Amino acid sequence: MTREDILEQVTQIIRDEFEDDELEVSEETTAADVEDWDSLAHISLIHEVERNFDIKFTMGEIQDFRNVGEMIDSIEVHLGQA
Amino acid sequence: MGATVTSFYFLCFLLCVLAVYYISPIRFRRVVILIASIAYYILSGNGLLMVFPVVTTLISWAGVLLMERTEKKKAVLVAVTLLDLLPLIVLKYVNFFINTVNGIAFAASSWTNADPVIPNIALAVPLGISFYTFSALSYTIDFYNGTAEKEKDYLKLLSYVMFFPAVLSGPIRRYRFDAKGLNEGNKLDYHNLTFGAQRMLWGFFKTFVISERMKIISSRIYDTPGVYGGICAITGTVCYAFELYTNFSGCMDIVLGISQMLGYELPENFNTPFFAKSIQEFWRRWHITLGVWMKEYVFYPVLRTKAFTALNDKCKKKYGSKKGKQIANIPALLILWLTVGLWHGGDWKYVIGSGLLHWLYIVCGQLLTPYTDRLLTFLKIKKDAKWLDVLRVIRTFILVNIGFIFFRAHSLGESIQVFGSMFRIHVPVAEFIEKLGEDGLDWIEVGILLISLVVLTVVSVLQQKGSVREMIDKKSLPIRWIIWFALLFFTLLTGYYGPGYSAAEFIYQGF
Repeated sequence: MTREDILEQVTQIIRDEFEDDELEVSEETTAADVEDWDSLAHISLIHEVERNFDIKFTMGEIQDFRNVGEMIDSIEVHLGQA
Repeated sequence: MGATVTSFYFLCFLLCVLAVYYISPIRFRRVVILIASIAYYILSGNGLLMVFPVVTTLISWAGVLLMERTEKKKAVLVAVTLLDLLPLIVLKYVNFFINTVNGIAFAASSWTNADPVIPNIALAVPLGISFYTFSALSYTIDFYNGTAEKEKDYLKLLSYVMFFPAVLSGPIRRYRFDAKGLNEGNKLDYHNLTFGAQRMLWGFFKTFVISERMKIISSRIYDTPGVYGGICAITGTVCYAFELYTNFSGCMDIVLGISQMLGYELPENFNTPFFAKSIQEFWRRWHITLGVWMKEYVFYPVLRTKAFTALNDKCKKKYGSKKGKQIANIPALLILWLTVGLWHGGDWKYVIGSGLLHWLYIVCGQLLTPYTDRLLTFLKIKKDAKWLDVLRVIRTFILVNIGFIFFRAHSLGESIQVFGSMFRIHVPVAEFIEKLGEDGLDWIEVGILLISLVVLTVVSVLQQKGSVREMIDKKSLPIRWIIWFALLFFTLLTGYYGPGYSAAEFIYQGF
């Protein structure tokens, strides 16, 4: 799976989570760029990403993701692609 | 030596520590910090109670060593967490439990038998137990999460936990971010020294000039609850909001200033909280380190449990992603806010005023948002209109003030009494003003207070654009000197100083 594929899937998950099909998502997107992306939504989103890719993030990763790009870095590590 | 960092003796102590720190060879500087921290804790009146932070740190440190040698890391984490929290729970909450049992028994006897079923236990609580326990605990949790390295040297960990400026009143630190730079021995830096001193001065101004004056007004209301209602009680409560803010954030300015003078950066605890447009935003601006700590070490783990994951899935299926999430989060938020309330102290006034009330605000806010959005669309009002933001700031300030009533009142009963008295229309305003005059707040004092509040407001507005000290630093030398010396002399001349040149105790000190 390429990095672009992962971003595409993550984008779809974020759109579903926030019920907004117009949402523009890039690797630089942060929680501050998306309305309603608070700590509650963060964990729910993480859960959906984990389910989609069949992986499990560590608590350290969840705490310190600064943007979507860093989340993709971790997904790649868990998928054994990094 | 008084426990407060504003006392004259503490300033002498600080000067000695700074001198010894920078005179010592770099490799010994961390030892200076450790000795100063232990000396400060003992001199603050804790004496033998110093054993508590020493043992708490030892448990966290040994727990990590054990984690390295066993597969049962989670069991070790649970054991360390329980052992670290045990003194906190026993010393701070045992009387809360007893008082609650007595209260229930009193109610069960139809409010007739006021004799306590269980007598209270006199306990000596080590100062700052809630702050240092959380800072120590974060080390073990961060190591377990794989975000922090093992610290081989116990004394280095003890330096971090007992770091003297922060041990008694915070900020609450997270090991993986805030242990860096403390044990390396920092070089003397003119910028850090001057900026640190300037920040301390700003903290003294807030504490001595504003907070202590506001206290006169709030005390008149809260020490005689229900006597002066209506506008007087409302004024007293608003003054308490400013008293608490200038006291706690002033204390943080002093603490962060001292730390900067030692070349070490502590996390910020405040960011102009009264400009918040919602309760959630307020908690991102007020006592920031408590909120962040609770979010990372309590809230996230709770939300990641199987029970909450299943509940989240179920609610999302039934109500859709957005609404489902909100509904599923209601019980998780309840646990979070109950913990925040209890952290403030073993008393129902804290559990309600600093915990459950804010939970209620957030849950109601989330559930009502779709309806208020629809109303705004119907009225053709833009959601991001500036005037609407002003109303949001005022609304948030009022809601936060209701919480402060509980925080300030001596008991839950008295807080309800003060809150109820606010709705009175006919109140003896003239008598209230006269009493304030007797308490020392004459018109000149009111004038000083108003000028100080203008200064505070101007600085707070400027802070939205960046560091005010940096802004001043860019001015020419005479302007810089005029600003800082004006603040120094104004604080010296108009500050309220008690015995030992110390302000009354910091409200959050000893939590």
